[in-house]
Amino acid sequence: MALLQVNNVTKRFGGLVANHEVSFQVDQDEVVGLIGPNGAGKTTLFNCIAGFYPLTSGNVVFDGENITGLSDFQVARLGLARTFQIFQASGDLKVVENVMVGSFMRTSSRGGAREVALEVMDFLGIVDTAGEMMTELPVAAQKRVALATALASDPKLLLLDEVGAGLNPSEIDGLIELLQRVHGERGVALLLTEHVLEMVMKLSHRVIVLESGRKIAEGEPATVVKDPEVVRAYLGDHYVKRQKENGDA
Amino acid sequence: MEAVKNAFDFGDMPRSELGLAAAALAFLLWFPAMPHSSFGMATMIQFLMFSLYGMGWNLIGGYGGQVDLGKAQYVGIGAYTTAVMMIRWDVPFWFSMPVGMALAVGWSFIIGYPLFRLKGHYFAIATIATSLVLKDLFEVWDFVGGARGLEIPMKGDMPNWLYLQFREDYYYYYILLGMFLIGLIYMNGFRHSRLGYQLRAIKDNEHVARSLGIDVHWSKIKAYAVATAYVAMVGSFHACYNFNIEPEDTMSLDLSVLIAMMAMLGGAGSMWGPIIGAAILVPMKNYLGSWLGGQAGFAGMDLAMYGLIIMVIAAAQPRGVYGIVEAVRARRR
Repeated sequence: MALLQVNNVTKRFGGLVANHEVSFQVDQDEVVGLIGPNGAGKTTLFNCIAGFYPLTSGNVVFDGENITGLSDFQVARLGLARTFQIFQASGDLKVVENVMVGSFMRTSSRGGAREVALEVMDFLGIVDTAGEMMTELPVAAQKRVALATALASDPKLLLLDEVGAGLNPSEIDGLIELLQRVHGERGVALLLTEHVLEMVMKLSHRVIVLESGRKIAEGEPATVVKDPEVVRAYLGDHYVKRQKENGDA
Repeated sequence: MEAVKNAFDFGDMPRSELGLAAAALAFLLWFPAMPHSSFGMATMIQFLMFSLYGMGWNLIGGYGGQVDLGKAQYVGIGAYTTAVMMIRWDVPFWFSMPVGMALAVGWSFIIGYPLFRLKGHYFAIATIATSLVLKDLFEVWDFVGGARGLEIPMKGDMPNWLYLQFREDYYYYYILLGMFLIGLIYMNGFRHSRLGYQLRAIKDNEHVARSLGIDVHWSKIKAYAVATAYVAMVGSFHACYNFNIEPEDTMSLDLSVLIAMMAMLGGAGSMWGPIIGAAILVPMKNYLGSWLGGQAGFAGMDLAMYGLIIMVIAAAQPRGVYGIVEAVRARRR
């Protein structure tokens, strides 16, 4: 059975339809990419899945449990973790303490939480920053801390919202490798949205394309990028026509 | 017992701080043996009381990041519970104090539930309102003496440990110092507890905190209850120390503001902040305030000065005196 089932999810803000009848699944052993042009409704869909927004209609089933209508913190406790697009560095806490907030979800013991935090940080290669303050770290390292914090809560599924944003190409390569290890060695299913298409294509087993809140395509990365609907959504009608005239399509 | 271990674990604090704390503790222990005036002793007792009030305030105002201007209502509940139980039913302090704390915590749950749906200024205003409403109710409630308040009668010979009635102030001083040390050690444990970490995560960013499984609303209510216990405990003590209490001196807005201001001046969100704040402001209030009001003939001038202090903190260093210490230390590294 699928780990995450999104069934006919619709989200309206007043007259604006942000997501319309979106359905898809994520399996335990999968990495799924969610792409689409700006304003396609990717982040809204994440917020709906994570319980941050109430749905207008439809339902979400996670690990066999209907999580529609649960609060975001309740969803998190079931093992659905997420990272945020805009990550705010904490001024008050040291790096390891920040990660411990994640591991405190599974234990009330400070020693236990610290142990898990250090193990995850070691796995992500940032254990040497444990004693530093968050504000002293560069952006790429802060993103790894955010990832570590989410992983420290021992999730089954991790929603990654634009983790590649603001990183340079070599940092992106490092992140891709890291996420492959998170999936391969820790067995965490990943659902990611990304502007950096290269990253989604390299990581995902399957890609879902949203445009104006609707799902317009789904399939293997290599197939999806050639789909005329997807090309049109990203590049416009002109490009599709020109492709046809040149006989590429 | 990990909780006990955490409470006594000061390992994450800089050596210099622990050295200063040890010196301060030695001073506090020896103070009654040193030559001092009775006004000096009263000032030290007030310093300890306000340190404890500030520690309580700091849980929500500092670690939780929500400014609370209604702490006086819990001082009142603690003080009145002890006074009423002592006067009407001869209940000793050591029994009435926990009862006062429990009643105050109960009240904190009742008002905390709706209050923590509010944010920022609205929360601050609502805490003022609940505190003032309670004060007004006590002023017209005959059972607790109305606006004239209550006076605790002498209960036999002094020193009386059961009812906390002593001729010499150093008895009160040492009892309060004991509470201060217990409060400090408990606070150190709280800082290291799951709720302590969670509160700081909430202060940083509530969305991120929720995504990590933290029930933000309930966590704030729990921390508020702990904060209330601190304040009510000192309130109970205050009733015995003063012998008489009235709504005006236990539940006034002045008291709430003073508590908040001391913690903010010292450094909201840090362990030592409320103590530093009380160490600066209590002597200033007592010595400078009485000099300005008396000999210099500027009654009320001290209040204007508090206002000035609040503005300077808000503009220059929101993390207070302790924030300045931290900034200097960061620059040296």
